[in-house]
Order: sequence, then C-alpha cells, then structure tokens
Amino acid sequence: MLNKIEETKQTFNDELNKAETLSDVEKVRIRFLTRSGEIAELFNSIKTAAPSDKPLLGKALNELRQYAQEKFDQKKSSLEKSTQPKVTSLDITIPGRPKPIGSKHPITQVMEDIERIFIGMGFSVETGPEIESDYYNFGALNFAPDHPARDMQDTIFIANDILLRTHTSPVQIRVMEKQSPPVRAIMPGWVYRNEAISARSLAAFHQIEGLYVDEGVTFSELKGTLVAFAKQYYGSSIKYRFRPSFFPFTEPSAEMDITCYLCGGNGCRICKYSGWLEVCGAGMVHPHVFQSVGYDYEKYTGYAFGMGIERTALLRYGIDDIRILYENDVRFLKQF
Amino acid sequence: MKISQYWLKQFVDFKLSPMQFVEKLSMLGLEVESFEELARKYDNFVIGEVVECVKHPNADRLTVCKVNTGKLVQEIICGAPNVAAGQKVVVAYVGAVIPNNQHDPEGKPFTLERTKIRGIESNGMICSEYELGLGKDASGILVLDSKVKIGISLAKYLNQTDVIYEIGITPNRADCLSHIGVAREIGALVNKKIKLPPVKLKESKTPTNKFAKIEILDKERCPRYSARVLRNVKIAPSPKWLQDILISVGVRPINNIVDVTNYVLMETGHPLHAFDYDKLIDHKIIVKTAVDGDKFITLDGKERMLTSDMLMICDAEKPIAIAGVMGGANTEISDSTVNVLLESAYFNAKNIRRTSKKLDLSTEASYRFERGTDINNTVIAVDRAAQLIQELTGAELLKGAIDAYPKKRKQVVVKARVSRTNSVIGVSLTKSQIISILKKIELHAKSISKDEILVNVPSFRNDIIEEIDVIEEVARVYGYNNIETKTHASIDFSSNVRAEALQNNIREYLIGSGFNEILSVSLQDEEAHSLAGKPLVKVLNPVSSEMAVLQSNLVLPALRVVKHNQNHGVKDLRLFEIGNVFNMDVTKEKHLLEAYGEEEKLLMLIAGNISPVSYGVNQRLVDIFDIKGEVSSLLTKFCLDNYRFIYYDNNKTLSEPSIGVEINGVYAGFFGKVKKEIADKLDVDENIFICELSISSIRDGWITNRKFKALPKFPSVIRDLAFTVDIKLPQIAIEDVIKQIGQPLLKSVVLFDMYSGNQTGDDKKSVAYSLEFQSPDRTLMDEEIDNTLKKIIEAVQNQCGGVLRS
Repeated sequence: MLNKIEETKQTFNDELNKAETLSDVEKVRIRFLTRSGEIAELFNSIKTAAPSDKPLLGKALNELRQYAQEKFDQKKSSLEKSTQPKVTSLDITIPGRPKPIGSKHPITQVMEDIERIFIGMGFSVETGPEIESDYYNFGALNFAPDHPARDMQDTIFIANDILLRTHTSPVQIRVMEKQSPPVRAIMPGWVYRNEAISARSLAAFHQIEGLYVDEGVTFSELKGTLVAFAKQYYGSSIKYRFRPSFFPFTEPSAEMDITCYLCGGNGCRICKYSGWLEVCGAGMVHPHVFQSVGYDYEKYTGYAFGMGIERTALLRYGIDDIRILYENDVRFLKQF
Repeated sequence: MKISQYWLKQFVDFKLSPMQFVEKLSMLGLEVESFEELARKYDNFVIGEVVECVKHPNADRLTVCKVNTGKLVQEIICGAPNVAAGQKVVVAYVGAVIPNNQHDPEGKPFTLERTKIRGIESNGMICSEYELGLGKDASGILVLDSKVKIGISLAKYLNQTDVIYEIGITPNRADCLSHIGVAREIGALVNKKIKLPPVKLKESKTPTNKFAKIEILDKERCPRYSARVLRNVKIAPSPKWLQDILISVGVRPINNIVDVTNYVLMETGHPLHAFDYDKLIDHKIIVKTAVDGDKFITLDGKERMLTSDMLMICDAEKPIAIAGVMGGANTEISDSTVNVLLESAYFNAKNIRRTSKKLDLSTEASYRFERGTDINNTVIAVDRAAQLIQELTGAELLKGAIDAYPKKRKQVVVKARVSRTNSVIGVSLTKSQIISILKKIELHAKSISKDEILVNVPSFRNDIIEEIDVIEEVARVYGYNNIETKTHASIDFSSNVRAEALQNNIREYLIGSGFNEILSVSLQDEEAHSLAGKPLVKVLNPVSSEMAVLQSNLVLPALRVVKHNQNHGVKDLRLFEIGNVFNMDVTKEKHLLEAYGEEEKLLMLIAGNISPVSYGVNQRLVDIFDIKGEVSSLLTKFCLDNYRFIYYDNNKTLSEPSIGVEINGVYAGFFGKVKKEIADKLDVDENIFICELSISSIRDGWITNRKFKALPKFPSVIRDLAFTVDIKLPQIAIEDVIKQIGQPLLKSVVLFDMYSGNQTGDDKKSVAYSLEFQSPDRTLMDEEIDNTLKKIIEAVQNQCGGVLRS
C-alpha cells in the first residue's frame, strides 16, 4: 500500500511536469485531487487495510494530499504568470464609468467670492425681502417724494406703495432698525428695475450692499476698505480712482473705478475707450438716513457701498449677453 | 447733456485736451460719458490752390493738376470739367474718408487710396461739394473764394473745430444743466472766475408794463414771473452760426425766436417761453391752477387732460401754456407773428415734476424746472434773449422787464464745522483751507467761531441746504484722490457671518452629487404660472407679459429651464435652485407689506436617463425612487434622522404622486413626479421628478453641533430574511414590524430585493431584507440572533400575513 502511495506520487509528479497549459494542470487536478480522484480513492482503500496499518497509511496519504495540492498550486500560479500576456483582455482605454458633474451658477460663484472677502474683513451677511414698501426702498433712504432722484431707478410696482426693491439698500434700513451700532454687514440679493429686456438688462439682477456704522468712520476708511476689496478681487496690481457722484442716501457720494482689466487701461470696447471700469457706488451714510432709523448722527458716522454682480460676472467670464445667464442652458452651466 | 467746448470758452478760458477734459471733469463729479471732435470728420482734407492744369496724355476728359497745399506741390488727376489754374479748392489726401462717393448710386462714403490713373499717379483728389457732404452739386469741383488761405485744414475753413462732450449730470446738480454751469466747474478746476455774457439792451421809450400785465394767483407754485415784450420781430430761420451751435448740442432749429429761447436755455440753464403777443387776450398773463377735467392742446398738437394741481399760464380768458412743461398751440410763434412776449419764470420744482409725470410729458424745460432753476436768473435770462432777438431781427424792445416777484427769496446760509468736515472725510484741513476750497465754487464763507464757518449759498446751488452738503463740496473740490486711503483695524465679528452657510453647504453637497445649479428670474408669465394655483403676486407695470407675476414656487420656472434644454437636445438633467417664492394673503390690504410673504426654497429636479451613456452601465430612465433617494440622502446629510416622509397625498397641484416631507414633525415640502397635465401644458417631456423644500425647515432640522459617538467595539452579524406577502401590502409595514421586534439588537434593516412573478403568483410578492445585528457590549451569539429572528418571523406572519421563504 505504501508503494502504491509512492507510485501515485510519482505519477502525479510526472503528469504535473508534463502539463504545459492551465487546462493541462486542471486535468491533473481532476485526476488526482477531486473527490473521486486517485488520492481520494487511496483514502477509500485504506478502509480495508489492517487496523494497525491505518494510522501510518493515513498519515502518508495526508502528506501526499498536502504535497499534491501545494505542487499543483505552485505549478498553476507559475503557469498563470507566464501565460498572462497572451491571454490579456483588459482594455484599459475603455472609459471609466462616468458620474454626472455638478456646477455652481456663475452668479453664485461671483457672489460667494465677493462675500468671502468681506466676511474676512469682519462683515456679517444679512438679507431682506424683495417685495418692499416705498418707505424702505426710497423714503427712509432720503429719496424725497417728487424728487428727480427717483428717476435714477425705474421701479416695478406691486401695489400703491408696494414695489420690488430697486436696490439692496433697504436692507441697510432693516439692519439698522434691529441693531444698534456698530454695524458691519454686507447684504446680497436680487433687485428689480423696470427696464426693457436687452443684452445688457434683464429687469432683474443681483447687488451686494455694504454698510459700516461706528464712531469715527470716515470717507478715507471707505476708500481703504473698497481698495482692499478690489485688490483682493481684481488683483493687487489694479489702479483705482474715486469720482464724486450722487446717491440720495449717501453724502459725500462716490463711484469707484478700476483700470479696465481687459485692456489694461489702454481703452477698449468694454470700457468705452476710457480705460476705466465703474465697479462700485459708495458714500458716507447721509444724516437723514440715520434719522430714519433713530441713530445719533452726531455720534456715529458710516459708509455704505453697492455693486452690481451681473456686470462683474459678464466681464470676468467674457459673456456678452446677460440673458444667457438665466436661460440656464446646461451646456452653459457646465462650463463653470 | 451735450456741451460744446467752443461755447464753454466764451465764459472761461482753459486749455485742456479732450482726454484731460474728460478726466478732470469726471474727477470733479461731472461724468463725461463721451466726446466727439467735429474736426475728425475732416482729417486729411486741406485747402489748396491749383497752380497748373495739363491735359492727361492718355485720357481726354482728365486733367493733370499741380496743386499747392502750402508745404507741398503735388500732382493730382482731376476729372471735373470746371478745374482751372488759380482756383482755391478742397484737396483730400490718401486716407481721407470721402463722405459721398459720386460714382456710387447711394453715395456711400469711401476711403481715398493712392492710385494710378491711366499711368499717372494721383496724390489725392480735388473734391466736389457733394463729395464733401456740403451740398448737392456734383457737376464739378468746389471752388472756394480766392482769398482763402492755402494749407489750412478744411475743418478750420468750415469752422468745424469744436469738441462736443456728453456729460451725465446727476439729479442734484441742476446748476450744471447749462454751458455757464459747466463753465463754473471748469473755473474751479483752472482757478478762474467765469465771464458772463455782457447784456446790452437798446430799449425803446415805450414801457413794457403799459402793454402787458402779469398777475400771479398761485404764489406757492410760481414764486416769480418775469417777462419782456418785443415788437415788430421778423420771423425767419436763424442765421447759420445759431443753427450750427444748436445742432451741435442736439437742438433742432425752428425759427429765430424759438431758437433764441433754446440758445439761452442751453447757455444759462433757464427755460424761457415765447408767446405770440397778439394772441393774448387783453395782453394779460395770469398764473393759476387748472380746472379739473379741462382740456388743453400743447405745441406738439396733442390734447392734454388737466387736473386742478397743474399750474397754467393763462391770458384773460384761457390757458396758454402748461407752466414749466410746454406751451400751447393757441399762442405759438408762427410765421405771421409780429409781436412777442417772452416769459422767464421760476416754478416750484415738485409741482412741475408732478405735472410732467401725470401728463407723461418731459421737456427740456420741465427737466430743468423739476431739478430746480435759479430764482435770481429770471430777469438775466429774459434780457439775454431780448438782446439776441433784437440783434437778429432788429425788433423794438419795450422798456423794462416786468418782474412779478411777490416774496423775495432769502439768501441761504449754512453753518459748517471744521471738525465735522474733517471727521467725516478723514482729513485734517484748516478753516482757511476749507474757506478757500469753497471759494473756488463760488461758495463764500466766513469764520464765525473757532470751529464754525457760515457759508453763503448762491441761488443756483439749490442742492446745498445743510452742513453735510457743504462737507461734500469740500471733499469734491479737495479731490477724492487726495484723501488718504486707509483702514483702521477693528475686531468685532457679528454672529450672522454664517447666515448663508446652510445654503452654501447645500450647494456644495448637490454639486458634488452632480447637480447643476440654475438661477431663475422671479418674474414669470402669468398664464403659465397660474398652473400653480394660489393667489399670485402680480406686477402693476410689468416689463413684458412674460414677467407679470412673481413665482409662487420654483417648480414652474425650473420646468421652463427643462423645456429650453430639451429643445436643445439636452434631456438628462439634474438641476437645483435656491430662491425665493412669493405669496400673498388676500385677506390683507394690498398696499401693506404684511399682505406679502417670501420664503426661500430649495428645488431639485431630475429628468431623462439616470447616468450618462457609457460602456458597462445599464441605461434606464430616472424614477420616483431616484428623487426619493436624493431627498433622503440630502436630509440625512444635514438633519440625520430628523425627517420622515408622509405617504398620503398632500400637494397634488404640481406633482402626482406627491410625497410630503416632514422635518422635526413640521411640513417642509414635497417630492414627486411632475403631473402629466402640467408637463403637457408646458410642452416638456414627461418623466420629470421634482422636490421642493423650505430652506428654513432644513435649517431648523440641521444638526450642526455634532458630538462624537464611539465606534462599535464588537462585530455585527448580518442575516437575510425573505417573506411572501400580499402584493398590495406596502413594504414599510413589514419594515416597521422588523424594526419594532428587532429591538434592541437590530441595528439596521435594508430592503434588498422585491419580486413578483411565477414563483409568488400574481397576487403575492416576495420582499427580502438584510438585517444587521450588533451589541455595544459583547459579541452576539447565534442563539440570541436566532431567537430574535424567530420573533420577527412570527410577528411578520401575524401582523402582515407574511410567509417566510426558505
């Protein structure tokens, strides 16, 4: 019996050595290592052997089975390694399974970038309603009734004295009404104007308003804050200027211009050949506005500023028609 | 408004190039929007003299001319029959833009190029009147007066050297709506006092007040009314200089009288009106308000409906002009006018504005009156006009102006503090510096105490009424760019910095999940938007009918976006928007803010295929469980398990089915499939799934203050169970039983298969769950789990009629 075990081992070795392919070794496995294979048969045959021989035979058979399995595994894996290049079917040029790619609306991106800069300077973010009363939108902001300053902003009305806010400035009033100085806030949001729809106007657009009220706030500091913002947003090398302007709710009032970043100040179509781009309206909060909200205008001074977002976005992304922003064509959105 | 440089220079002498002018004036607060150098049109045109004419050797009709243009004598080929030596002509050089091409049927302009004509080079072109755009004569070249100097530019010859500036005047600076006003600002820039036009009148001995009477009945609306009378005017077109200058500033010439009133308007900023004196009944002017419902025909031939708050200029019987807005047709200057009454009045600004708005009629006059004119200017302006009319027509000017000025306006004085000026601007000017700055713009101030000055405000500056107005003038003239740019650090962070944080987090999350953010204008088409039901907030004066109501939901605007994209072939969509929706409470008064509500919402929308086309991915259309999965994931992310779905129909207006979402037990929104009727009406493909949630509800459920929970120390055990149940039984019934009975060891239940078919029979379905068991304090034994499973199986059988599948 032991001889037979030894013979089987020999045969197994010969057969395994002869095997050249994976299917050859598989045949060897089936012949020797399956439940009905030759080694299993030998296990069956020791049932009839003398009881005293059984432990010895069992041990020898177990050793054989272990030996055969190891040899088979070795041979199989060495064959697998050597044959791999021939049987490769992995085409790694097949595209990966795609995921849909999301995008943030370009207007949101510009708003967030601007907000982030002011938040970094210690401004909070406040919002207010889009449907406003005449008082918040005009009256409290020192727009006298029957004053031509009201023509600066064509208004969309909902009812008598109720309108869609024409600027984010009413939020200034709302913030000051609920909070005493110091106040330092930016106020982003939609605003509406009754203007014909064109490549440059869509009757609705976004503004970001800023307000800082405290003791000792000066026009000089207004300049400092806006310059700090502009250098962060438009780049530290920009040139800027402040021009006198007029808004009923600020005095002195100013427009901030920066060098046109498309032509570097040399003059182009976008800056109307002036070399300058208007980026922000601003000024010192008018004492009448402080009176509207019950602030002591002798004790406190403040500045306010406001900028349009769409124009900034159009320039930044090189878009020439404002209407494409709100068509929400996915082919457009996915570019951002 | 358009401002002529030539005109300005009559009042103040300055040497600024157009670019310098734009820069300096803009920095002073008068924004120069553009400018036009009239001479640019005539670049490359000069006056020359034909010194020699020889017949072209190769062409019968052409002449080879030698033309002297001062510095050069050059050969120019000319085809005109009238060319001859000794003529003074207009020569166009290469590069000149010839206004009219004689050989083009439409006479289109062209740029002159160097050419050889029949073998001889021509260095330019001698032009005809037509070619220069100066007249119709194209039969030959334009021959100028022999005294004209050669070598001067055509622009100079034509006196077209002016520069016209377009200046945007802010509503507070009414004083700058004239050439004298702008000249004053330039005077401040170049430190010169302006020279006003000298008015020299040749009056006859007949006093004006014998021929006309003025009576102001409404002194509030008309504080001053001045007038003059001229006799024997000859109505005619104005001389060329007057027509030219009016045209250059955008005013259409009409006749000498009207043109003079417009000229004085543009010069002084004071509106005048000329009446046909002989048509004034009793030669009387009465200033009073209109009678409600009266009708009046204005100069433009239109009938206007009057109201009792409108101020009218009347004669003894009838209205003859709407004060400060427009004259009447009944007393208009015509070709047969012989005698003229000139009006120069001061009207209350607010009243003029109300009238102009009511009539929807804005004129050069009303534009200025409503911004405020100079009450001290009425007589000066009427005298200036009288002088010019006299010069132009030789009319007789009656003696003296009539000046009804019942209550003389007091000199406006404003106190200002040096300390306040410095603390608002952030500078440290001395009192005398401030006084001298103000003097530049004719604000004469004197010191009245250590810190205070008293400013005499000239009557043309009606925008200066209090201290802050003076401070602004100081800052403006001192120069904004001379004010230091500084910031003082102040650390005071408010609590609201994170107000927008939730929206930003939601955006980032959804973008990461492959959603494209959309933004819609809240103004929507009324008909389409009424599909949402609810009382809509309507606009009184919509920009267009497509923008007539405010959105009451974000779904309908998003469906418009879907339509746009589907029309452009993009059908697989994953969109979201964060925006406000509007509603109104019809029980409240419309003119009160309380009647209107706004709420910020989040919209999610999916449509088309679940994933982009690709190898190895099975395509399928999105379904309700995709949107449900998106909603669950989003809410789990922000609110953990503080939300639940309500499976009864809740809001069927827009979607069907419609599944409600509660966060912390409060209704927060819904999701579902866009209703077929709505998809059909809006012409979008079906199979669009939407979700609309309230941002404030998500914020209420948002768990930001998260505490660490120790990770499980002992392994979990997973067992699967499958039941056959009635096909109509919602799976949640079984899931709930499993969850309830599985306590406390059951950690999670996941439905992983559901099947109905041959093996179950048509009225049954098989549902399979994967159950995860775990204990925080020990490794679970098989017997414990088997026990729990046994209880679950029994309960499902008893409560749901579920039969365990093996």
